Amino acid sequence: MEIAEVLPILAPLFLLEAILAIVAIISWFKTDETNGPKWMWLLIILLISIIGPILFFVIGRRQR
Amino acid sequence: MQWTTIFKKEMLEYARNYSWIWVPIVFIILAIMDPLTTYYLPKILDTVGGLPEGATFDIPQPPPAQALYMSLSEFSMFGVVIVVLITMGTIAGERQSGVAELVLVKPVGYFTYISSKWAAKLLLIWSSYIVGMLASWYYVNLLFGEIAFTTVVQVILFYGLWLTLVTTITIFFNTLVKTPLLVGFLSIAVMIAMSVVNSVFSHRLIWFPNNLSSYILQMMDTGTIPTDLWATALIIIGLIVVLLVAALFTFRTREMAN
Repeated sequence: MEIAEVLPILAPLFLLEAILAIVAIISWFKTDETNGPKWMWLLIILLISIIGPILFFVIGRRQR
Repeated sequence: MQWTTIFKKEMLEYARNYSWIWVPIVFIILAIMDPLTTYYLPKILDTVGGLPEGATFDIPQPPPAQALYMSLSEFSMFGVVIVVLITMGTIAGERQSGVAELVLVKPVGYFTYISSKWAAKLLLIWSSYIVGMLASWYYVNLLFGEIAFTTVVQVILFYGLWLTLVTTITIFFNTLVKTPLLVGFLSIAVMIAMSVVNSVFSHRLIWFPNNLSSYILQMMDTGTIPTDLWATALIIIGLIVVLLVAALFTFRTREMAN
């Protein structure tokens, strides 16, 4: 079992995780107000994979 | 028409708050995670497990239907939570912030308001869910064995009813209380209560909505649609209609009271 064998199949998963994080960061950058300190949300997005960006999208942003 | 205006406004909002990007991605990740890890677990253990020389253990690979069913199990857990989270503020949030009043002083009927919101959410959820299931189907075909396209379509259509029910329950609570967090809490509480009721009375209530996925698995195994599946599906559709009508009534009374 080589890494090269697994990579093409697992790559989409990592790619999706990366897109999710990038979109969350773009959204974080554009948001003026967040629930709680803004820098904390950046850490959450970056450090907790998948769940971090989801949390930010759902409860991180202040409505309107 | 008023209905399309609100519907389009919702679509615009989903585009602006990136829902059209992140919800489908999350559903794809949920759908493919389990089949992938199940397939690779033995191989990963082989490589990094540090097992003594000669030690072998076989983890049997599940049949294709079972592998596809894993995606449904993920949706039943985390998919439901995501659905509740993205739906809990759709009306309650607008009532809290006063946007709902701005919309409703215009000649917009209560039913127009609720049903267009409901339909918009369902479009987002169904699209994401379908994309996720197709991704899962692709991997299952690749790693575990073939599943016919018609079977996948049937699975998608039947299980989609469950997500529709969850959405409708959340929309109903949206009309009942004004705080999005409370809406989410109540919806999750109902989901938990339903699964408790189901596990206690499972042999009595054979058409209880929570049994849907086990009948779907049965359908995949036998290749025919069991009558129990039809009955459960009809009950779910009935519940959705009842909840929508109830939502309309509570919303009307609540808004009149204000």
